[in-house]
Amino acid sequence: MGTVESLLLGFSVALQPDVLWYAFLGCLVGTIVGVLPGIGPLSGISILLPATFGLDTTKSVVMLAGIYYGSQYGGSTTSILMRIPGEAASVMTCIDGYAMAQKGRAGAALCIAAVGSWVAGTFGVIMLTLIAPPLATFALRFGPPEYTALLMLGLVFLAYMSSTSLPRTLLMACFGLLLGTIGIDNMTGHFRYSFDIPELGDGIGIVPVAVGLFGLGEILSTPAANMIRKVIAPKLRQLLPSRQEWRESVMPIARGSLLGFLVGLTPGSAHIISSFLSYGLERRLSKHPEQFGKGAVAGVAGPESANNAASTGAFVPMLALGLPTGPITAVLIAALMIHGVPPGPTLVNEHPNVFWGFVASMYVGNLMLLALNLPLVGIFVNVLRIPYAYLYPLVIMFCIVGVYEVNHSIVDVWIMLIMGVVGYGLRKFGLDPAPLVLGLVIAPTFEMSLRQSLIMSNGNWTIFVQRPIAAVLIAVCALLLALAALSVIRARKDWRSKLAEAESGEGS
Amino acid sequence: MTLRTDHIAGGVFVALGLAVLALSGDLPVGTLSFPGAGMMPKLVAGLMILFGLLLIVRAGESAPLASLPWGDLTHAARIVAITAVAIALYQPLGFVVTMVLLLFTLTFGAERRPLFAAAAFSVGVVALTYLLFAVVLKTPLEPGILGF
Repeated sequence: MGTVESLLLGFSVALQPDVLWYAFLGCLVGTIVGVLPGIGPLSGISILLPATFGLDTTKSVVMLAGIYYGSQYGGSTTSILMRIPGEAASVMTCIDGYAMAQKGRAGAALCIAAVGSWVAGTFGVIMLTLIAPPLATFALRFGPPEYTALLMLGLVFLAYMSSTSLPRTLLMACFGLLLGTIGIDNMTGHFRYSFDIPELGDGIGIVPVAVGLFGLGEILSTPAANMIRKVIAPKLRQLLPSRQEWRESVMPIARGSLLGFLVGLTPGSAHIISSFLSYGLERRLSKHPEQFGKGAVAGVAGPESANNAASTGAFVPMLALGLPTGPITAVLIAALMIHGVPPGPTLVNEHPNVFWGFVASMYVGNLMLLALNLPLVGIFVNVLRIPYAYLYPLVIMFCIVGVYEVNHSIVDVWIMLIMGVVGYGLRKFGLDPAPLVLGLVIAPTFEMSLRQSLIMSNGNWTIFVQRPIAAVLIAVCALLLALAALSVIRARKDWRSKLAEAESGEGS
Repeated sequence: MTLRTDHIAGGVFVALGLAVLALSGDLPVGTLSFPGAGMMPKLVAGLMILFGLLLIVRAGESAPLASLPWGDLTHAARIVAITAVAIALYQPLGFVVTMVLLLFTLTFGAERRPLFAAAAFSVGVVALTYLLFAVVLKTPLEPGILGF
């Protein structure tokens, strides 16, 4: 079956009224999650995961994915109107989006962000349609050594791309890998670090760790008294940008879409990194870099397009290889697994309805989001009027319920609380929790494929350089590590250091 | 010498790595041709110690420990304590009672919101959430002593 026929099959699934309803629900919840500060897409997806247990696979994944890319749309609203990023990927939008709002161009900024997000999201889905199936076919050649090398590359790439230092990122990834070894060893049956707690025999779940680090941890780091709520509410007739503003946003949207999609394919918090990279790129390419920070249209159009394209790009390795590039795709993989559908190279052929239905629903979802985010912006702004003192207890309640409902395990909820405290501590000491979650997610696959590779080769480490695909991946790892070491030796500030400066300075 | 944030962060992870190695005594490392259950944790703990030491060595680049703001600590500790009590009560008391108590304690007790507003918010939100999960989404919530 060719791509067009497959896509038509997907639309026949995605346009069924009940699937459309769940796509809409996902987009709506995602927009609200994006609008509300302190609740990221990860918390939103994790909390609603138990609610999908009664649905079929397609509806579940369509709704959860809608929350993910919907939150990218919604995140821009608070950034532009309040200078509070609804979620981390919208940090860069705060700078010029809020400056535009102060100049009376809030409506135009929202419109450019929404249109840019739509263009980028649609571009991302087209690329996903074209790339994922052949990549899945290629990935059928992967054995344990290739998976080991690929996962290693993922961790090194994440560390290299990270705006914090390489040792800090790898330290966090190691912490995650270590947490991932808790529980029964699948190969030998040994109990590891379970301290006679039966629930720990199955290991530590992704959901309690992710919700603890990103949901509760964020709340603990946010003192309620410091939340200033000054909302600039735009009028509907002010939503259309001027001709000049459209002209200034066309190329940043195009560049942001391409850059975002490419970054989205890589491990890490791609939707966050892509918006920082896009902002830097636009400022560098601009004829008027001095306007950045004072309401530059490109400073809104580029990052907003990039973070949406990246969130779609992240679905390519998830669907084609079964590999999570970050905590959000990891939870989506968990959702598929709960429904007995393992994502990976076999997904396209064995579950075409799920794969193509999901892809087609994203085309529809992006249109829904455009319709939701422009005319209804006034309604979403009202959500922001909920005082934080009432909002965060609500989030804590959903964190507890969401985590508990996954396995009906109170131990999971205690783990969430502990991880919330850990997340608070990590933030205090400038350590990024995202690599920890990624380490936890890949730990079982990484360990299994590493040990299988060694058993296959009778203990010969050179198996990783004897097989062509693994050798190329290992060579890229070595190259990235060498580049990182070189920048330390030269003690020169490269783009990542500048990104970190932007993140800590302008973003705050 | 000024104590810096990375001295503490690195030190904590070195200690954690050493603790993992100490706890892994009975886990077999195995051989290269048949790695055991202890290989991966010990390897990763070793790497964690290495990166922790690197952090300590390069701690000069980090902020002085004394400059860390701790103004939010009391608020955070209060939330953790209240949440911990709620978790402990969740299975015995069930969703409805525990969550009403949690929301009320946080809004009225921790955030000093007006009594009636906090009470109405707590009861209203829990009722709506219960309806959403139990009736609309057909996902039963923890019943507890009240039986629902």
